[in-house]
Amino acid sequence: MIATHDPTGVESSDGIEIDLRVPLDRFKLTLRWSTRERFLGIFGRSGAGKTTILESIAGLRRDARGLVRVAGRTWLDTSAGIRLPPERRGVGYVPQDLLLFPHLDVMGNILAGRPRASGRARRDGGVAPDPERVIECLQLDSLRSRRMDSLSGGERQRVALGRALCSAPRLLLLDEPLAALDAPLRRRILPYLMRVREEFGIPAIFVSHDASEMWVLCREVAVIEEGSLLMKGPPGEVFTGERVVPMARLDGFENLLAGRVIEADGDTARVAVTPELVVTVPGEGLRRGMKAWVGVRAEDLILGLSPPERISAQNVIAGRVGEVRHGASRAEVMVEAGGSSTPLVVAVTRAAVDQLGLVPGRQVHLIAKVSSFRILAWI
Amino acid sequence: MAVLLLSLKVAFWSTILILPPGIMAGFLLARRTFPGKSLVETFIMLPLVLPPTAVGYVLLRLLARDGPLGADRIGFPLDILLTWKGAVLAACIMSMPLVARTARVAFTEVNPRLESMARTLGSGPARTFFHVTLPLARRGLLAAAILGFSRALGEFGATVIVAGNIPGRTQTLALAIFNDIQTGRDEDAMRLLGITVVIAFIAVWTVELLMRGGVPGSTAGRIREGAP
Repeated sequence: MIATHDPTGVESSDGIEIDLRVPLDRFKLTLRWSTRERFLGIFGRSGAGKTTILESIAGLRRDARGLVRVAGRTWLDTSAGIRLPPERRGVGYVPQDLLLFPHLDVMGNILAGRPRASGRARRDGGVAPDPERVIECLQLDSLRSRRMDSLSGGERQRVALGRALCSAPRLLLLDEPLAALDAPLRRRILPYLMRVREEFGIPAIFVSHDASEMWVLCREVAVIEEGSLLMKGPPGEVFTGERVVPMARLDGFENLLAGRVIEADGDTARVAVTPELVVTVPGEGLRRGMKAWVGVRAEDLILGLSPPERISAQNVIAGRVGEVRHGASRAEVMVEAGGSSTPLVVAVTRAAVDQLGLVPGRQVHLIAKVSSFRILAWI
Repeated sequence: MAVLLLSLKVAFWSTILILPPGIMAGFLLARRTFPGKSLVETFIMLPLVLPPTAVGYVLLRLLARDGPLGADRIGFPLDILLTWKGAVLAACIMSMPLVARTARVAFTEVNPRLESMARTLGSGPARTFFHVTLPLARRGLLAAAILGFSRALGEFGATVIVAGNIPGRTQTLALAIFNDIQTGRDEDAMRLLGITVVIAFIAVWTVELLMRGGVPGSTAGRIREGAP
């Protein structure tokens, strides 16, 4: 337990504590999660109960039982008869369908939670987030008096985010913030989410079925399947976990790497994941000193026993086989390289495992073309 | 002209008086479940199916000197029977079903998730109602008001029993037409008929336009936007 029991809701400690039970149509949702991390992710297939968790935390599900405690404030404790109504919880909820108010313009929507924000500032002696700062951060200035039906998908997403931020929430709940957007738009919104995370520092729970998004945005991830917790931990650990890999692989398993850009010449950039693990990736707007998140599919990595000579591929990385998992049609080889805490997953045929004698401990070289890498995000 | 002015006055006041309870009833029926809901619903709808004269008779018994709301029982006279206030009361009761039903449809078309959203943003139930539900249902509620107004304008059966048919004091359009026909003044009847047709046409047409325009945030609007 993180916080001491305190029904009056006085701030006594940090962190999020959840112990939820919600009856659903096909199964019962149960989730027990207690953490001090501030940026959390809930990952799972659609229909796994992810949205239900957010709605229960927001106070929108009357059938939710158990305990929800955020930053020392008890929002739900059915054993003690506490069930705060949604308006007294202080969440900034951005649901999948956004639920922008169609009778208000952009400014009206952004300021919809303003009375709460000012009230909270008066009571707690704090400062409510300045709407102008939010507008600037989300680049909403030119949209102020626009109607909801005249906005594009990305603009609507930003307005919903801005409305949540301006209500001075204690916790942001973001349900699939990028799912409704196509790939190019997704790449434009993701940086906004990261700016929000960096600039406002409000604790947040992100829901997604996209592993790469989760991994960029979250410090701790819970994987939900059929309403129960399958696994939780830091994203790097979770997404290479044996039980999660098949889920993360829905559209090809991706190795995810985060590092600092140490060199960029426009066409390509070099990203240092660890001092020993440096990868060469497409340049795509990366500049020296940026933090970058890149992905490479397990299928696009090649394994060799000796370092290849005179080869066009720019990435040749020495490593050691950690574990070999045999699937139905192929094998997944975990390769530890460059002192990185997360192994790289390489998909090879079972014949290749036999031919190369890939057993744990074997020294190998990873080979990858620059174009195999995908830039996910940067700041 | 006195007939028309009195009719408008009666219809105006009955609309003003019936809107708050009508809207409240429509909201409760659209959003809440409570034991005996279908009974309440049926009771509100009764004036729609009862003969108006029957409703008028009930009001007459209630307000008669020796009735439950009569001067003998409550100690002072309410002075409603045989006055224009009686006509207002009769019109109120008779238009209640129409107002409540239309308001109910208006509220049903507001996405309740928008109300939930307002709650998470810190609005209590009352603030949510006035800042989100009411503005989103405004077209439907305006339609309810217009329908209630038109119903009040045309009320006959209950009015004639509660307010009587006193020329210059309680004689509304509907009563005057009846009078003119009875006394063979066909020209006057035709003139009043013309007036009522114009008023009724404008009212119904406005309602049609309001309803067809769709309510922002309604089910239809959400489907158009393609959101889940």
